Amino acid sequence: MSNLMQKLSSRGMRTPLDRSPWLIRSFLFVWLFVVIAPLLVLVAYSFFDSRNFMMVYEPTLKTWEGIFTSGRFEVTVRTLRIAMTVTLIELLLAFPSALWLAKGNCTKTTRAVVLALLTIPFFLDQSSRIIVWRGILDENGLINHVLMMLHIVQAPIKSLLYTEAAVHFGMVISYFPMMVLPIYMAMSVIDDTLISAAADLGATPARIVVDIILPLSLPGVLAGVVFTLGPALASWVEPNLLGGGFVNMLSNSVDSAYGALRYPVVAALSSFVVLMIGVIFAVLMFVTRRFADLSMSFRSLQS
Amino acid sequence: MKDRNSITSQLDLTRRDMLKGIAATGAMAVAGTLGLSRIASAAASQTVSAYGVTTAQLKDWSVLQKSTGLKMQYAGSNNDVGVFMRDILASQMGNKADIFIFEGGTQNILGPQGAYLVIDEKNPNLKLWQRTPDVWKRSAVVVGKDGKQYGVPVIGNADSFGYFPDKLGVKADGSTDLSWKTVYEDDRTRGRVGYDNTWNYSIGVAALYLKSSGKAKIVDPADLSPAEAKTVVDFLVARKKAGQFRTLVSSFEQQIQLLSNHEVDVINCWEPAVREANLKLGEGTTRYAYTEEGYYKWGHGAYIASQAKGRGNLDTVYKMLNYFLDGEYRALQARDRGYAGPNMDLAVEYATKNSWTPEQVESLKATQQKVDRKFAKPFVSTTTPSHSDAIEDEWQRFLNA
Repeated sequence: MSNLMQKLSSRGMRTPLDRSPWLIRSFLFVWLFVVIAPLLVLVAYSFFDSRNFMMVYEPTLKTWEGIFTSGRFEVTVRTLRIAMTVTLIELLLAFPSALWLAKGNCTKTTRAVVLALLTIPFFLDQSSRIIVWRGILDENGLINHVLMMLHIVQAPIKSLLYTEAAVHFGMVISYFPMMVLPIYMAMSVIDDTLISAAADLGATPARIVVDIILPLSLPGVLAGVVFTLGPALASWVEPNLLGGGFVNMLSNSVDSAYGALRYPVVAALSSFVVLMIGVIFAVLMFVTRRFADLSMSFRSLQS
Repeated sequence: MKDRNSITSQLDLTRRDMLKGIAATGAMAVAGTLGLSRIASAAASQTVSAYGVTTAQLKDWSVLQKSTGLKMQYAGSNNDVGVFMRDILASQMGNKADIFIFEGGTQNILGPQGAYLVIDEKNPNLKLWQRTPDVWKRSAVVVGKDGKQYGVPVIGNADSFGYFPDKLGVKADGSTDLSWKTVYEDDRTRGRVGYDNTWNYSIGVAALYLKSSGKAKIVDPADLSPAEAKTVVDFLVARKKAGQFRTLVSSFEQQIQLLSNHEVDVINCWEPAVREANLKLGEGTTRYAYTEEGYYKWGHGAYIASQAKGRGNLDTVYKMLNYFLDGEYRALQARDRGYAGPNMDLAVEYATKNSWTPEQVESLKATQQKVDRKFAKPFVSTTTPSHSDAIEDEWQRFLNA
């Protein structure tokens, strides 16, 4: 496998950026200007204060202290916990699904239909998709109606909605395509002869998955984690519509602060999230460095 | 001289930017460019540009042109006070808009800083000013904390909560005065209450209840001190933990859905949500409460952008402000949106003259009576309480509980 990677990288495919050195410099300059500079401004703003809808440009740690005394730190921890749980659930669901799609016994038509169905959510408004679940999960909703009609329960179950479980459920539905598609793409480029050879040599299906498919699809898994964890940390629709105000997440906290024009609080919370994401991916890279190169993660998307 | 780091300084800077702009325009005029002709055309124009909340809009502004010859160019703003004030200050919306329309409170910050002009009460085009009741024209919606008249009242209402009379065992016609205890501490409604999750909308009414019931010392429910905000949030956290609230609501659509699905028995919400729910459930199924303690009284004011002074069309602007006080605007807003406002009697007069149906005229009279009854009680809300930062921080505690 590593020989293959070395060959690929040593092949030296020349991109337009390689041909014109000034292009790469221009790109880096623009990137610094539109991505890095705003982030630095954001961090700088978190060290100012606001008072009664106005910025006060006096350096202070008050905003950061406030994060830890106002309950916003708990919101951050809760957001991190929910986002990571959702990512893990997605991974457990998406890996076998992607395996079935890429290497299972499904026909080309089935595969095409499933892939098309997975892309549908990208074309629909997220609020519209999630609000439908309120009608299904609420006290007088479809599920309670069916359960009561079948005499499985005597009174409606209230906890189907406005709980962390409901928020998890909504997020898993929302972000499933983000996880499954990169893994599917990574798996679909795995050479079938490798799998056949392993089978001919007597490897069990479980051994093939663990020793061949998992390592080769790891870049897709990492890409799936990136694409799921990022939006999950910034979730706004699911906590609002399915959490019913009882599952306060970072996006709600940012929104509330923004409504009072508390830019320093918004900046501190956003900086904290960026820091958290950085730490998570550093840990992820450290843990997986023996198996895969994170920089190769997006290569699977090129196929 | 102000400290460069003070709150005022950045507004001064903004103002300097504006002055630079005016100077530049002046230079252009001297140079014989389009500057003068633009100002002249603004002065002659019958068009008024407005930037504000969409609820202040008529569904069809063509009636305005027919009755007054004025033309309205309306750009809708976000409902969020923070976003609105950012637009006024940072984006200098006054360069484009003649008037701003927003919920009361912004004048306390933007007025003294010079973003809003003080209303000239003697302007001959503001004909209906003298006959407009003080409860509207002198309210905290349009008068600044500095005592200056920064705005003209446009629309308003007294918000309370929607409820199902049969669930509470009260008169079905909705005429009973209910206590806010129904929302916070009534065993009949425990776990059946929808409560708005925005601090500005929900903390004031809780403070009003605590003040009226003698459970806490609150000076002004609209303008809580940090200590008062803590007391109110402590109470709300306790009620949340006791399971009083079924859900915290974040949108108008959710208010309608919760009532329509019978998922809550009581909800602090906008009055139109009750009307929308009744369209599905049948007239009178839900009612909007008259309360014992008072209401979240809100109003939209129309404020003149300071930049409008230099455009030379102030007469037209004042004609527009006068229109907001007149019967046509009042009647149409009441009919189409259910909102009240100053001079409801002129709305009744307008409807009668224009052959509206007897039911519509009766409905306007009923709106007038409702508003008179509700506005006799406290409290007038503000979007910009003095300690908004502390209140917002406390509210996070409630949301996290």
